[in-house]
Amino acid sequence: MSHEGHYREAHPLIFVVTHWINLVCMIGLAFTGFYIHYPFFAGFMYGARAIHFLLMFVIIINLACRIILAFWVKTANQLGTRETDIDLKNWLPQKENKYQFMETVKYYTFFRNTRVISAKYGALQKIAYLATPIITLFMAYTGFALYTPAHSWAIWPFFAAGVSFFGGAMGIRIAHYFGMWVVILFTMVHAYLAAIDGFKPLWGLIFLWRETPGDEH
Amino acid sequence: MAQEARAEFTELLAARGVSRRDFLKYCGSVAALLGMSEMYAPQIAAAVGKLQPALWMAHGLCTGCTESMAQVDNPDVPTVVLDLLSVNYWETVMAAAGTQAEDNVAATVAAGGYVLIVEGSVMLGENGNVLRIGGKPGIEELKTVAAKAAAVIAVGSCAVDGGWVAGAPNIANATGVSKFLKDSGINVPVINLPTCPVNPEWVVAMLVDVLLMGELADGSILKKLDDMGRPKLIFGSTIHDNCPRRGHFENGEFVVFGSPTQAADEAAGWCLYQMGCKGPTTQTNCPLVRWNHRSSWCVEAGSPCIGCGNANPITGGPGNWFDASAPFLTRHADVRLPGIGGVQPSTIGAVVGGVAAVGLVAHGLGSAAKGRVKGVPTETQKVHDAKMASKGGDK
Amino acid sequence: MARVTIDPVTRIEGHLRVEVEVDNGVIKDAWVSGGLYRGMETVLLGRAPADAFYVAQRICGVCPISHGHASTMGSEAAMGIKIPNNARIIRNIIEGAEALHSHILWFYTLTALDYVDVVSALSANIADTYALAEAAGTSTADFGAIQKRLKGFVEGGQLSIFTNGYWGHPAMKLSPELNLIAVAHYLEALEMQSEAAAIIAVMGGKFPHFMTSLPGGTVWIPTEQKLDDIYFRWQKVSNWINGAMIPDTIAIAAQYLPLAGYGKGVGNYLAWGVYDDKSMDPTKRAMPRGMLMGGLTLTQPDPAKIKEYIDHSWYESGDGLNPSVGETKAKFDAYSTDAKYSWVKAPRYDDKPVEVGPLSRMLVAYVAGDPDVKGLVDFTLAALGKAAGAAGPLPVTALQSLLGRVGARNLEAAFVAKKMGAWITELIDAVKGGDSTYFVDKSGEGEGAGLWEAPRGALGHWVGVKGGKISSYQVVTPSTWDCSPRDKNNVRGPMEEALVGTPIADPTKPLEALRIVHSFDP
Repeated sequence: MSHEGHYREAHPLIFVVTHWINLVCMIGLAFTGFYIHYPFFAGFMYGARAIHFLLMFVIIINLACRIILAFWVKTANQLGTRETDIDLKNWLPQKENKYQFMETVKYYTFFRNTRVISAKYGALQKIAYLATPIITLFMAYTGFALYTPAHSWAIWPFFAAGVSFFGGAMGIRIAHYFGMWVVILFTMVHAYLAAIDGFKPLWGLIFLWRETPGDEH
Repeated sequence: MAQEARAEFTELLAARGVSRRDFLKYCGSVAALLGMSEMYAPQIAAAVGKLQPALWMAHGLCTGCTESMAQVDNPDVPTVVLDLLSVNYWETVMAAAGTQAEDNVAATVAAGGYVLIVEGSVMLGENGNVLRIGGKPGIEELKTVAAKAAAVIAVGSCAVDGGWVAGAPNIANATGVSKFLKDSGINVPVINLPTCPVNPEWVVAMLVDVLLMGELADGSILKKLDDMGRPKLIFGSTIHDNCPRRGHFENGEFVVFGSPTQAADEAAGWCLYQMGCKGPTTQTNCPLVRWNHRSSWCVEAGSPCIGCGNANPITGGPGNWFDASAPFLTRHADVRLPGIGGVQPSTIGAVVGGVAAVGLVAHGLGSAAKGRVKGVPTETQKVHDAKMASKGGDK
Repeated sequence: MARVTIDPVTRIEGHLRVEVEVDNGVIKDAWVSGGLYRGMETVLLGRAPADAFYVAQRICGVCPISHGHASTMGSEAAMGIKIPNNARIIRNIIEGAEALHSHILWFYTLTALDYVDVVSALSANIADTYALAEAAGTSTADFGAIQKRLKGFVEGGQLSIFTNGYWGHPAMKLSPELNLIAVAHYLEALEMQSEAAAIIAVMGGKFPHFMTSLPGGTVWIPTEQKLDDIYFRWQKVSNWINGAMIPDTIAIAAQYLPLAGYGKGVGNYLAWGVYDDKSMDPTKRAMPRGMLMGGLTLTQPDPAKIKEYIDHSWYESGDGLNPSVGETKAKFDAYSTDAKYSWVKAPRYDDKPVEVGPLSRMLVAYVAGDPDVKGLVDFTLAALGKAAGAAGPLPVTALQSLLGRVGARNLEAAFVAKKMGAWITELIDAVKGGDSTYFVDKSGEGEGAGLWEAPRGALGHWVGVKGGKISSYQVVTPSTWDCSPRDKNNVRGPMEEALVGTPIADPTKPLEALRIVHSFDP
């Protein structure tokens, strides 16, 4: 278990809120998505589709807010510190993270035993978090592309390009389906690493905004 | 314009002592077999000028599209149009055979200006010898005949992109007319009418556009086609969106084959989505036009749509309806993995998810074994910085 | 000796080339070449059994129902499924509707132009035509109007699909009046075949290529409205077959009696049987399973005795294999009647070529003693005996000829029309009786065969299922039997054999050869 303190500067309240929204949306989208894919019980198709759409808009808006906030909100720039920096810098990979990438890989593959010095997020973590908006947008794009009323929209050609890229209407569905598995895999790894790196302090902070002091302070 | 032309035609008939009603009644299904209609051609030919010559060529086919054409009965616009057409070659119904039949092709090609209708896949396998016509590979004749055509209508999914014949592993190397002509450098407008077989109402509708409306001559027909050369009006919306069972889809009421309530649910017209219906991924107007003089269509009879209208004339093979929709009774098509064959996406998802879960558990056990659970000291200096420092360099 | 080639053979399903050697106005030798290979057996491998049902129909757009049923039966046999009784009846009705459709279309649209001279109908006397129709007991039409329009058409100079037909050929024997009647029915037939096809559409979604007889039973559920619909469509078609097609057949056959003297072919007949009864025993099918080898002695066929040869076909492996373990590997080299000349394999039963088709079925049913078939055949033989001026009916062996092959098919249409009425009633009774089982959801593994009949003859789908997927698939279609090339012993296929001995009046217009070819409905 890590020994750094877990302070609210790492995850300001607004980001605790956006994280909650993401979690609820992703569970809702995955569940309704599975139901729409194969309705395993009767009577919920209209509801499932409505919720799927609603949550899609919520998660997209949430993503937009999160990105905008990253330019304004300051977050802790290191583990176990109350020193802050613009969140964007803490979110996006920085030049100095470059050499820590392989070291982090070594750590998680048991080729080294001391933890790697990192910013608020580790080098791998930054890459994974950079991928989340991309996969979210991918899901939204493929989702619209397989939504047939979109055929009559003026921007349909933008989606039609994707349909033909994935080899037709079935292809885009399968792409959307696999996209969901990517999200599920991300969530599994994300939750696992958060758990082994300090379940109580990390989860307490991100979900309940509860601080845990570090050993050396 | 269609109405004007129709009025003109009715006048022509009247001038010859034939009431329109009589004519249509008489033609009835006769009109179906395009050529038959020419029996009445002289009655109108004088006024409308030269009959539009046409050739109906058979390639890698099952003859289902010709069969399907024989099922058209709507004599209204079709009759008018078909009576303007002179089919000089149509293997399945023509009287001539052998050399006499080939003479018909030669004479029509020499005269030019004909509409070429192609049924069946373009067969490339064994240097084109998997289809032999007149002692030669079929593709040779296709090239000759297509080069001089005013327009080509590819009827049925096979002609559009090879159809099921192009299904993996596409052993006879089938492709579609569009792709073949493009690869052969033959530049002729191609109208693609997928589904297996073709719905005859669509062929008739196209002939109206091409012939009666004169849309081929002024090029306006091409504006009515989508990027796959399909008429937008016919292939512009999904079966799912026009399906009479759509309400039950929204209600979440689904037929399940083999369930105790199957018969009752089907009789109530519940939705076949759960049985893998490809209505949501198939763009045709089958629920509206229906089949066999509007007597029914696939979903009405109780079967999920199998997406036979999916075809990709641009790739000319990949995207064929068999591979795009099979297994038909599952929601998703199989993904074909080399060395394994068709696999359901849900299987792939579950396997990857399962492997990841096992991996994480293993990693967790490894972490515990290494004592990481109790906390790991952080390095005091970054490895890279240490290297730089030892080299004497700074910064 | 003169080599005469007919390529393409028209008015058939698919691609066919026929070469014959003519000497002194008679065919001495013949080669039949199938021109198309698509690879159905390969594309089905690794697919689900239900997919095979849907796609295997695409082997033949004229007889898709039979291929669908044979495929589904093969899968069911492999997976150990026994279908519900309702599904059995429904499949019979759909299968019967296809037979009616196919027989009408084949006789009038595909074959009639070999016997009916459209141009000759122009000189028919209208009053005599009515008199003739009445005497022949066939239905009348507005013959005057039809003739008038025909005149306009021919005078117009453009003959469209009639361009270059064998009009005025010396082998055309009908009177102008009978030609006119036939032309009128040629037109009506188009409507009737599509009415029969609409029965399939109601019960199967569409025709060609239907949707409902999935492995496990059927997914079509009858409602009163739908039962009404099929009943009245059946009645209309059935009345027309009895009121026009059968009298036409007898009237036309009476003018072509010499055609009973050639075109016999190999004289071996196979029928897998079609239209299951409640017992699901193939020998008790409405058209029973049976075999006649050489004579008219009924035996039961053993599928294990079938072997497919490729000595004259463009395949590279799998010679002499039973279809249950068959292989299909295409390899074209060159067309040569001395070596390889066809995409069709050469199936043999006990190393002998065998004819399949309506004639085989009717002969088997006749010998098996089916009363309906016996009635139809005996009535026709008596009528033709009378027409021939003979003392009694023609012998049953007269059926083993070109004329018999054509006539048997039309008689079968009448037989099926009658049976269909009974099946529709049977279904109504079953539904009224409260039986609401149509489909069983079951999977299994194994190997099986769907041995069934297409309208044009015996059809087999050999299916292996493993892990829910097709592990092996082989098809022997009726045309594979009938249009087969020579085998390893250089023995001709049934169509080739039937062509030998056929007179050819004009080698540039080999109409008589076409008649033989069309009689098999390749």
